[in-house]
Amino acid sequence: MTASTFLFRGAAVPFRPGETIAAALTAAGLRTFGLDPAGRETRYFCGIGACQACLVRVDGVLVEACLTPARADGRVEPAEDRHDRS
Amino acid sequence: MVIVGAGIVGVSTAYFLKRAGVSVRLVEARAPAAAATGAADGAVSVASKRPGPMMATATAGIRLYRELTAEGVLDGLFFTRSTFLVAVDDAEAEVLATHAAALAASGVSVERLTNERLRALAPSLSADVRAAAEVREEGHAIGYEIVRRLIARAGLAVERGVRVDALVADPRTGRVTGLDTGAGRIEAEAVVIAAGGGSADLLGLSGVLRARRGQLLVTERAPALNAGLPGAIMSARYLLSKASAPGAAPAASARGYGLVIDPLRTGQFLVGGTRENDAARPDTDAEAVAHILRDALRLVPGLASVRLLRTFAGLRTAVVDGLPLVGAVPGRAGLHVATGFEGDGICLGPLMGRSIARLLLGEDPGVDLAPFDPARFREGRAAA
Amino acid sequence: MTDPDLLVIGGGPAGIAAAVRAADAGASVMLVEMRPALGGAFHRRPIEGVEPWPIGREGERRWARLDEGLVRTGIVPRLRTAFLGLDGAGAALLEDRVAGRVEACHPRAIILATGALESVRPRPGWHRPGVVTAGGLQVMMKETGRIPEGRILLAGSGPLLIALAGQLTARGRPPVAVVEAADPFTEMVAGLGLLAHPRHLAEAAVHLGRLALARVPWRRATVLEAITPKGDAFEVRLRDRRGRRTTLEVDHVALHDGIRPNDHGLPAANETPGAGPIVVSAGDGREVLGVVAAEIDGERAADRALALIDGRPEATRDHLRRLARERHAQAVLARVFAPARPLDPLETLPDDTVLCRCEGRTVGDLKVLFTGADTPAGREIKLTGRFAMGLCQGRFCAHWVAEASARLGPDAPAPRPRDLTGDRWPARPVPIAALAAVPDAPKR
Ligand SMILES: Cc1cc2nc3c(=O)[nH]c(=O)nc-3n(C[C@H](O)[C@H](O)[C@H](O)COP(=O)(O)OP(=O)(O)OC[C@H]3O[C@@H](n4cnc5c(N)ncnc54)[C@H](O)[C@@H]3O)c2cc1C
Ligand SMILES: Cc1cc2nc3c(=O)[nH]c(=O)nc-3n(C[C@H](O)[C@H](O)[C@H](O)COP(=O)(O)OP(=O)(O)OC[C@H]3O[C@@H](n4cnc5c(N)ncnc54)[C@H](O)[C@@H]3O)c2cc1C
Ligand code: FES
Repeated sequence: MTASTFLFRGAAVPFRPGETIAAALTAAGLRTFGLDPAGRETRYFCGIGACQACLVRVDGVLVEACLTPARADGRVEPAEDRHDRS
Repeated sequence: MVIVGAGIVGVSTAYFLKRAGVSVRLVEARAPAAAATGAADGAVSVASKRPGPMMATATAGIRLYRELTAEGVLDGLFFTRSTFLVAVDDAEAEVLATHAAALAASGVSVERLTNERLRALAPSLSADVRAAAEVREEGHAIGYEIVRRLIARAGLAVERGVRVDALVADPRTGRVTGLDTGAGRIEAEAVVIAAGGGSADLLGLSGVLRARRGQLLVTERAPALNAGLPGAIMSARYLLSKASAPGAAPAASARGYGLVIDPLRTGQFLVGGTRENDAARPDTDAEAVAHILRDALRLVPGLASVRLLRTFAGLRTAVVDGLPLVGAVPGRAGLHVATGFEGDGICLGPLMGRSIARLLLGEDPGVDLAPFDPARFREGRAAA
Repeated sequence: MTDPDLLVIGGGPAGIAAAVRAADAGASVMLVEMRPALGGAFHRRPIEGVEPWPIGREGERRWARLDEGLVRTGIVPRLRTAFLGLDGAGAALLEDRVAGRVEACHPRAIILATGALESVRPRPGWHRPGVVTAGGLQVMMKETGRIPEGRILLAGSGPLLIALAGQLTARGRPPVAVVEAADPFTEMVAGLGLLAHPRHLAEAAVHLGRLALARVPWRRATVLEAITPKGDAFEVRLRDRRGRRTTLEVDHVALHDGIRPNDHGLPAANETPGAGPIVVSAGDGREVLGVVAAEIDGERAADRALALIDGRPEATRDHLRRLARERHAQAVLARVFAPARPLDPLETLPDDTVLCRCEGRTVGDLKVLFTGADTPAGREIKLTGRFAMGLCQGRFCAHWVAEASARLGPDAPAPRPRDLTGDRWPARPVPIAALAAVPDAPKR
């Protein structure tokens, strides 16, 4: 098993090659990936990109954690909008 | 009395008649707000109006929204905020300056903003914006919400799914006595046609009314970016697209691209749009949407990381001379019309509904309807 | 990008079978799949280093054949590419999630093979983190080989619950219980119909055998009424056939109330040449008939599309006969899994029960729309109630809102889910930066 990790809220989360962000976060014991921009708790639910409940922010953009492969050294943030425009 | 069309104009007319104690029937081919009213941005605004009757009427339209809100009728649906006219190049800056002066001259509260002031007020705006004016005391209201509220307040029961096929008139006098509909004949002492794009067929005005398509986009929520825009952002280019004469291809492009970015109260953005002549269907295409988005990104770069959620389009009903048709139809006793508000019917709808209601009640409409008198197309109508 | 003759959306058995069939007939084909791997709901591929999920020898043979077809025809699927719909000008819009760009593509025909979507009936607490769909749990297991820690409850209705329970048990992690609204054992007469479908019967027998061995209770004619958080766990309330209520404490709840075509926001079928691209749908996205049918239907759809664009002959008769057989099996299953007692109408759920998770709209919010003199139609319910207005675009609530609205406003025509969802592109939310990449048309 490789030791790739990405950062979620600043903490390293390990993942295996090909794994989605949702799979890695779930394996790390997270039920919710933070709040979404409407202030509701996100969660893994349908697994197929349909429910939009598992949103996380990667490179500033919202993506479905269940569709998006984890990337080594990537940064993943909760979907909640705390955009800084500086 | 029978009102044809449950867009914002027909519903407002019915509301004010009902409020005066008159019983009305409101017949609608599809459902309330099914056409332009349900596919509009909701600028209750004078910022983009041409000087003259439209500017004056829009000002009165905003005032009525304020009154109805104060009375509690439109409580929670109408919000006051500013519109920011912005320019990114010399040509736009010039239009902006001229227009701001015209607004000020007709008594609108408008202020040119310095760059520092603009950055402080609207941090989400790009540094590319080089000139801006704030038009104050404008507002926003969503057409379908206004319609729903007025229906509920008046206790109206809209007759949905009833398409009017033709007017019934006394062959001798020309007086309108009723309507032929898909659900049979309806007798009426007075009829108001507020059928938007359906009005042309009923009135024989096909050479006078035109459809101008508008494509609009809605994004997902982005509350922080949204909070960095204190009001609607209107590109000076929008004024160019709007001022172009209906029927003729606008100079800028056949699409009539113009840009408004509206921060919605949900934290979403509504972005528009186009002004396309003679588009048959209210649909949207990627080419236009991408063009609008590129323009929007130039003004609000932070939109790049927001997702688009929906696109939709509506057909604005425009009159060839750019002014609406409101009033009694000449030679047709018992018949009134109120349509042709093009891109301003959300702002003007309640006011025009009240005006028609007052005319029917034999009262002074309270606004000058002379420029909108349908009699100006008498010749055209006879020929049609 | 050169425009293909045929654009196939979805890399499950229906899409792959369609793509291979069309390529074998000489058409140029583009196959797009939104996920990072082909497979679809049944043939979902594991990530590197994880054993493929056991799907039986027959299933493995079918996958090998599909895979071999792709190799033979040289079709290179475009992965992580989502179809956003057809725009008003007839362009097929593809979001390439690797390049971060949307492309407008002009194929002569499109086959929609987007598979099925699970239904999850609203009940208090269904929207909480820790509650997943049975399919969602299965996706995780099939791709990563992992099963979440803790006590798992499966609830709702349908054969998938049994299949999933059997799979969990085979991995040494039997669920706490399987709660099933139907009572399949009392539907003996209907069940006899399954004798004609030994494949389904054998599959059910294997799973049920496993459950019996592991003593997993199969609580039939029982519904899961409510899910309440209790610390890190949930307390769930069950109601059995006699109306008796019991509670259970569990760590995970997987819900499933059947599947339906995943046709949301997709263009309608178009078999009229000259009126924009031909659009044919295939597999579970057209009609939920299961994995064997999906492959057959993919081939049928490819034949149909090529017949419409090139006048090629169709070999439909055999396909239709085999599809009819699968349809019969599904009809039998539907009867076997019919609810034992009528389910509580949605509008009788507590007012704060969430119907639309995205916008947080509840049963109470829906009822308010029906209090006046005037009964709103489908689109008004959407716009003024904000139902089906959120990010999932109504995929999980439109059916329920339509069902409840029909009962709340019986004097008006019943709204259709489509009245709530609308049918305009984009079929999925799309990043603005990616969409802004679509160029203006070249000047004519
Ligand atoms: C994209 C877009 C953006 C806009 N933005 C703004 C804005 O920001 N601010 C603003 O003030 N205005 C805006 N508008 C304009 C505004 O939406 C319209 O002017 C206004 O909604 C017109 O209302 P109406 O009641 O006249 O017509 P409609 O809303 O079109 O209503 C007419 C009704 O009549 C019905 N009907 C038609 N024919 C028949 C028949 N034969 N029998 C029975 N019923 C019939 C129709 O079904 C329809 O419901 C915009 C319009 C569009 C398209
Ligand atoms: C959770 C679940 C479990 C199931 N279990 C079984 C079972 O045990 N046995 C059985 O016979 N059947 C099962 N089915 C039914 C299953 O749908 C079919 O058996 C089979 O997978 C259908 O094949 P298909 O090709 O039609 O769809 P799928 O196999 O679902 O493939 C559709 C593909 O399209 C892709 N897609 C969807 N939308 C887009 C888009 N907009 N752009 C690009 N790609 C897109 C999806 O990612 C997916 O890969 C199950 C279904 C579900 C939902
Ligand atoms: S879990 Fe539903 S979209 Fe990811």
